[in-house]
Amino acid sequence: MKELLLAFFGSFFPAILFNTEKKILGWAGVSGLVGWTIYKALTYLTGMPVLATFFGAAAIGFYSEMMARRLKTPASVLSISGMYPLVPGITAYLVVENIVTGNLSTALNKGIETLSYAGAIAFGIMFVTASIQFQAKYKEFFRRKKKNTYKL
Amino acid sequence: MDTDRVLRLALLAGEILMQSGSEIYRAEDTARIISKSYGVNAECFFMPTGIFISGYGEDKKAISLMKRITNRTVDLHRIEMINSFSRKINKESISIEEAERELHRISEYPYRNLSSMLIAAAFTASVYSLLFKGTIIDALIAAPISAVIYLANSGISKIGFFQFFSLFVSGVIAGALAIFAKEVYPLVNIDKVIAGSIMILVPGIAITSAIKDALKGDLVSSVARIGEALLVVVAVGVGLGLMIIIGLH
Repeated sequence: MKELLLAFFGSFFPAILFNTEKKILGWAGVSGLVGWTIYKALTYLTGMPVLATFFGAAAIGFYSEMMARRLKTPASVLSISGMYPLVPGITAYLVVENIVTGNLSTALNKGIETLSYAGAIAFGIMFVTASIQFQAKYKEFFRRKKKNTYKL
Repeated sequence: MDTDRVLRLALLAGEILMQSGSEIYRAEDTARIISKSYGVNAECFFMPTGIFISGYGEDKKAISLMKRITNRTVDLHRIEMINSFSRKINKESISIEEAERELHRISEYPYRNLSSMLIAAAFTASVYSLLFKGTIIDALIAAPISAVIYLANSGISKIGFFQFFSLFVSGVIAGALAIFAKEVYPLVNIDKVIAGSIMILVPGIAITSAIKDALKGDLVSSVARIGEALLVVVAVGVGLGLMIIIGLH
């Protein structure tokens, strides 16, 4: 419960830093809350944090695409601040610390971990955006096809 | 309609969008919509570091304009304002004088004041050091460090020095202050403090814009933005690492 509150504010305050409009700030916070809830639940259920990060990011992407239509703003306003709680800040720090102390194998380990989290976030959001765009294109394609057949 | 004037209007809109960290396709579409609604067929080619617009209007004269983008920040509110401006210009016909006035008003729209940004930076840092399972004391120490980082960053970018130097300095500041706090009060978890306070430097917008550019086929800017994000991480990391080495000896 405490973590959920932290995840909300963890998206709320970065949104202020990006100069987001005041009425959208709360929705940006909810975006982080949604992503963190999915991430935590799936980590608990499957025990695979990278997979959970992927689905958390996908949930954020879905939420922001839906809310962007309702609030009439670009979707990235919500998704950028929403993905902040999923960013692997502490693992990234451990990479630097292990490099300077000379534990290169641990650093490599942590580095790959960081990269896989970052990749999971990126592809999670990309997956949703791409499928929503594909669905729109698909509808348009069939509408055009129908029109053409009537003309013939 | 004067082709030159219309293209200048479109160029200004594109410039504001690219400086605020917009995706390529949004900026290109906006410029195309603006010039089309004043009867000019424009071809746009935008990159994160520079934009090109070329078009010809009713007077059958072709004109090309180019603008170099030097400073890039993140300003989602400005992107939103231009977005609704282009929607308005597309729907209802407004005179070009009015459109120019509106666009200049958007470009001079004041940024949120520094003190509220500092407070937001401080709260971000303390929230994240708590989320990384740090203690309350870690959160309280991370907050002022993050505010100092934000202040240094905005100060250096106001002078106009290049971006990665200010990130390097931010890493140095985070490392130095956290190690100093550890010297004063040994119970501090140094990793939680540092990881929390550098969260405000995460290149979030570069990564998400890179993804969207790749989806739309703007490969040049997508790769450029991924490179930008990597350089940000490396610059902060080198600054931090330097301080940790000095702190260890």
